[in-house]
Amino acid sequence: MPKTGALSQLMQALRCLPGVGPKSAQRMTFYLLQRDRQGARSLAESLLSALEKIGHCALCRTLTEGELCNICASPNRDRTQLCIVETPAEVYAISQATGFKGLFFVLNGRLSPLDGIGPEELRLDLLEQRLRSGEVAEIILATNTTVEGEATAHYISEMARKNGVRTTRIAYGVPFGGELEYVDGATLAHAFDGRKDF
Amino acid sequence: MTSVLCTASATANDASKGASRDFQGRISLQNGFVLHSRPYRESSLLLDVFTLDFGRLRLLAKGARKSKRGLHSLLQPFVQLRLSWAGKGDLPVLTAAESIGGTSIKLSGPKLFCGFYVNELLLNFLPSRDPHPEVFDLYRNTLDQLAADDGMERILRLFEVSLLGEMGYGMAFDREATSGQPIDPAKRYVYRIEEGPVENDERTADSVGGATLLALERKTLNDPDELQEAKHLMRRVINYYLNGKSLKSRDFFKQVTKSRP
Repeated sequence: MPKTGALSQLMQALRCLPGVGPKSAQRMTFYLLQRDRQGARSLAESLLSALEKIGHCALCRTLTEGELCNICASPNRDRTQLCIVETPAEVYAISQATGFKGLFFVLNGRLSPLDGIGPEELRLDLLEQRLRSGEVAEIILATNTTVEGEATAHYISEMARKNGVRTTRIAYGVPFGGELEYVDGATLAHAFDGRKDF
Repeated sequence: MTSVLCTASATANDASKGASRDFQGRISLQNGFVLHSRPYRESSLLLDVFTLDFGRLRLLAKGARKSKRGLHSLLQPFVQLRLSWAGKGDLPVLTAAESIGGTSIKLSGPKLFCGFYVNELLLNFLPSRDPHPEVFDLYRNTLDQLAADDGMERILRLFEVSLLGEMGYGMAFDREATSGQPIDPAKRYVYRIEEGPVENDERTADSVGGATLLALERKTLNDPDELQEAKHLMRRVINYYLNGKSLKSRDFFKQVTKSRP
């Protein structure tokens, strides 16, 4: 196999996708070039146009084509509730699962001192402005249950407390329909610690 | 106790045969902590762990981020684990991890940031694959103290002094370096790195009170001024041994405190 040329360049490029190794990249390349040249063209064009058009929402930092994302621009959302998540994918997950009517703020990461990711990298200054404006009455922390997620949640809750905003956090515990016997120990311990009046 | 196996598990027999320092075969149920983890490829984790008998080393946890059995939630910093791994090369593969005692993280809030700092110090000062059981005990005790006690600054300073001592950079706080006279709590000193305190009456940024030095010696730091001086002293000494490398968790601390009005 030649290591240069458009063919191997394409194979190499496809490997930037998650879950695509050399073999899958080869398969995709040959498929696109032999069977579906039209599909390949439209893939290339949509990739280029997506890269050009899609940026971060000025309010919530999620991915969007316009200045504001659909959620932030909608007049029907409850602007007093703000849910903090780590990735744009989590916005979709929460919207679909919960019927949450408030707004989101996407961190695009989490505080991680050892990787050099601090409040500036997460644009927490934008969040601080939001809190200071007085529009938000409740912050819902939906960061991941890792140590870094925990540190992020703590930092944001401090910020909210300073601005007199109520902070809540999503509950962690036994999955719905789960049987206690098969739940892993860490989750069970969390669920046990966070028990509430019944 | 939770047990999570991510690949074929090592049996007890394998372990007793292969438990040697040169990574021949498998290591089983080794006491350890995760110091830092970062994502690797699509679903794996690269772990920097600190173990009792093998010191600091790097392990690959294959598929840990996608594990349905909660491996990811187990491989968190500040939780004491029993780790098993296999492989002779540079990057052994984690075969099993189970927690000892509770799995919930005992550190919260600012203590969590202290924990990150302690972990970063260990990552920088511990040589790879060199056993340091005393440091392991020191680390475990420091985490317990951080969880139980509010005197974060004091705990961090004493950890720093003990860590440097264990790594062969021991500091002298009880005698003047040039004359050998005992330290006078009322006088002021300048700490010369690798030599010791030298009497110096000028109040410069680097000078430190005799009382602070004695408090460090007796591990009885409590006074706010002494804590402040000890912090400056230890920062200077640690920076010296880091050879110009900056600690990210310290920069992080600065950013965090700066953004708080």
